[in-house]
Amino acid sequence: MTFIDDILNYDSLSIVGLQKNTGKTVSLNYVLDRLPVESKRIAVTSIGIDGETTDQVTRTKKPEIYLRQGMYFGTSEMHYRKRRLVSELIDVSDENTSLGRVVTAKALTGGKILLSGPSSSSGLKRWMKDMHRVGLDLVIIDGALSRMSLASPAVSQSMILATGAAYSTNMNTLVQQTAYVVELIKIPLTEEANLKLLMPIEKGVWYVDDEGALHELSNISALSQEFRFEGMDRCKTLYVAGALVDGFLEKVRKNPKLKTCELVVRDFTKIFVSQQQYKMFLKAGGMIRVLQKSKLIAVTVNPTSPLGVTLDSDTLCGRLSEAIQLPVYDLMKKECN
Amino acid sequence: MQLRDNIESPCGLRYVFEQLELQAGYTRRWMLDMPMMRTGDEIVRSYEVLRQFVRFVEETDIPYINTLQFRLQGLKDIRTTIRNLEQKAVLDDIELFEVKHLSILAVDVAERMKTHGMDEAIAVPDLNEVITILDPDGLKMATFYVYDSYCRELQDLRSQMRQHPEQQENLMAECEEIEEGVRRDLCKKLYPFAKALEEAQVALAKIDMNLAKAIQMKQLGLCFPTISKDDISRYEAMFHPQVQDALAQRKREFQPVSMTFGHKPTLITGANMGGKTVVLKTLTLCQYLFQYGFGIPAKNADIAVKDEIYFCIGDEQSIEKGLSSFAAEMKNIDAVIKASRRGGNILALIDEPARTTNPKEGTALVSALVKVLEVENVSLVMTTHYDIETNDSRRLRVKGFENGAMNYELVEVKDGEVPHEALNIAESLGIDNEWIEKARGILIMSNSTQLNISNSICLDLKWSNTTTLGKEKGGKA
Repeated sequence: MTFIDDILNYDSLSIVGLQKNTGKTVSLNYVLDRLPVESKRIAVTSIGIDGETTDQVTRTKKPEIYLRQGMYFGTSEMHYRKRRLVSELIDVSDENTSLGRVVTAKALTGGKILLSGPSSSSGLKRWMKDMHRVGLDLVIIDGALSRMSLASPAVSQSMILATGAAYSTNMNTLVQQTAYVVELIKIPLTEEANLKLLMPIEKGVWYVDDEGALHELSNISALSQEFRFEGMDRCKTLYVAGALVDGFLEKVRKNPKLKTCELVVRDFTKIFVSQQQYKMFLKAGGMIRVLQKSKLIAVTVNPTSPLGVTLDSDTLCGRLSEAIQLPVYDLMKKECN
Repeated sequence: MQLRDNIESPCGLRYVFEQLELQAGYTRRWMLDMPMMRTGDEIVRSYEVLRQFVRFVEETDIPYINTLQFRLQGLKDIRTTIRNLEQKAVLDDIELFEVKHLSILAVDVAERMKTHGMDEAIAVPDLNEVITILDPDGLKMATFYVYDSYCRELQDLRSQMRQHPEQQENLMAECEEIEEGVRRDLCKKLYPFAKALEEAQVALAKIDMNLAKAIQMKQLGLCFPTISKDDISRYEAMFHPQVQDALAQRKREFQPVSMTFGHKPTLITGANMGGKTVVLKTLTLCQYLFQYGFGIPAKNADIAVKDEIYFCIGDEQSIEKGLSSFAAEMKNIDAVIKASRRGGNILALIDEPARTTNPKEGTALVSALVKVLEVENVSLVMTTHYDIETNDSRRLRVKGFENGAMNYELVEVKDGEVPHEALNIAESLGIDNEWIEKARGILIMSNSTQLNISNSICLDLKWSNTTTLGKEKGGKA
């Protein structure tokens, strides 16, 4: 498998599941098992609770996360106490989660752990920065999309997306929906000037005029039906700091004044727009950009749904790969391991 | 009274507190729990320590101070862990890590303080022995696990674990049992240090606090006060940092004010916008800063120690409590009177009492209030617009408009003199001319009426207070 080498080109990686039971933990273990721990210093954490021995929602058995000797990990106090390996504590942070503070440790033997971690994007960024400061080469984040996680996996430089029959047992839908998410992940970054200007803004709707001046548009959120665009004849860039939803995108599309302007969102996890609405926006000549973007390294699939339906692995990988123009791996298959 | 009980005082104490460059969240919490100092000795001692820190900050290279501050950022609140140790519980790895982390920090900071002769200012208990217990390999690293060197058997089991991962589950169980035994032994050795750990944590917070206070003294231009021996407080050129800052943002300057008060009630009168309320705010702020050991925003200050401080300002959040502004004010002042009867040395600073009621009753209430609080154990400073009669009080007046500009200086005045500048000031604010002129007309009218009618009738007039004002204006002219 070649994508392991690819990972080493980046200082951070998030592994994101499109849905529970899409094989995210398998992908994480797969990566952890193959990274060169002798030559690279690697740390792993999670946003949201993970590494439960049984899935908290579906009560199905879940694989545990297996760390190799020498790897660093960030987890909550409660999960640290349940570790099944020998490890040396290197930090107890002030970062609080529902399972206690986030602690960081180094594995002195291989073994299984329960992973949880910072519960906000800023907390996650701080932890990643701390890890890089003490000389770690690669930080891996066990990410979440379907869960109610406030931290965005898009803070990482690279990404692996896990999808599978748990997301949909209809192969057409699965391929189509996964391709749509991949399309969103691939949305390019906005221009440098916008990055500097917009990055610090964490809420509201703003626009940049043709002279580069920033204006806050309204106190009404982009979620609201009441939203009106007024006095923005010279709008060049329209920035939505929070969630981008159908109603708002439709209004942008139908507004002749905004025909040529660039729409910017924080990262792809903030786009909650139906595929149809998104396609219509692009078709009408709309342009969308992000402030944070991860390089998608690979897509992994789990062809088995928790309800027992299994899709044909080769067909699924082939069709998905064709749709997204990226290699797709079924890590459950024996020959991969 | 802890600092947290007074921090929201409308005098602006929170502003000065938030300006402190505290490094550790624990220091902040510890400070908020600090009781207010009530004796001169305590206050003197705290300023002696602060004085040493000011000298330390002045004489030491900035990078050295920065490193010390950076180290202090590592100070964590481990009171729960220390309590567990006091109660002779067996600590887990995370708790032992915390103990080791604190000890290494304490030893490091203590050494830094010692090299600058600051070890006597705040004594940090020696925790080297704790480090030795938790660092069997002498690595001097702030990390922790149950080290192999604690137990030969543990070491063997762990190397077996590495060689035979398939046996890990069983070996792990054995390891855990041994580890628990090691932790029990370690904790037995640590129990005698519980008190020292607690003291070290507080000592580090004190160092953090004093460094921050010392730096703040330089930044805001604060002074060291002396303790008044005669229960009279004297301020030379005092200022309010928050108001000063707000003015500076509008490119204006704060005019410092000097003032003395103590035994006799002190009444401050003066034009509207003459800074009377700011004087009271500043006095309250200075008193709190003094009794919590901060630098004082003045050129010189000689301050009397008080047991209780009351600052009554009209526009408190009475609406939140569902009280009218008058009711809220009356209740606040009532608390002062009740406190004065309980004894104890009280500072009462009252801003324009009874201003929201009719002038006639207002005057009566305020005159009576001065009489009630004219007792030995109360230092009263009060602002008012009312002409009130008192036997034995001092009166100060804001100088007011001079050559088109406001002079905020306080001057001593004779009894009964209340400035009449409201209309002039309103005019200077560009208030509607018709309104001002009509008011002026009414004043002149009532003035001439008053010359013809007797005083008793005059008091029954609706504009009684205005009438009195008019009389004086007329009298002066």
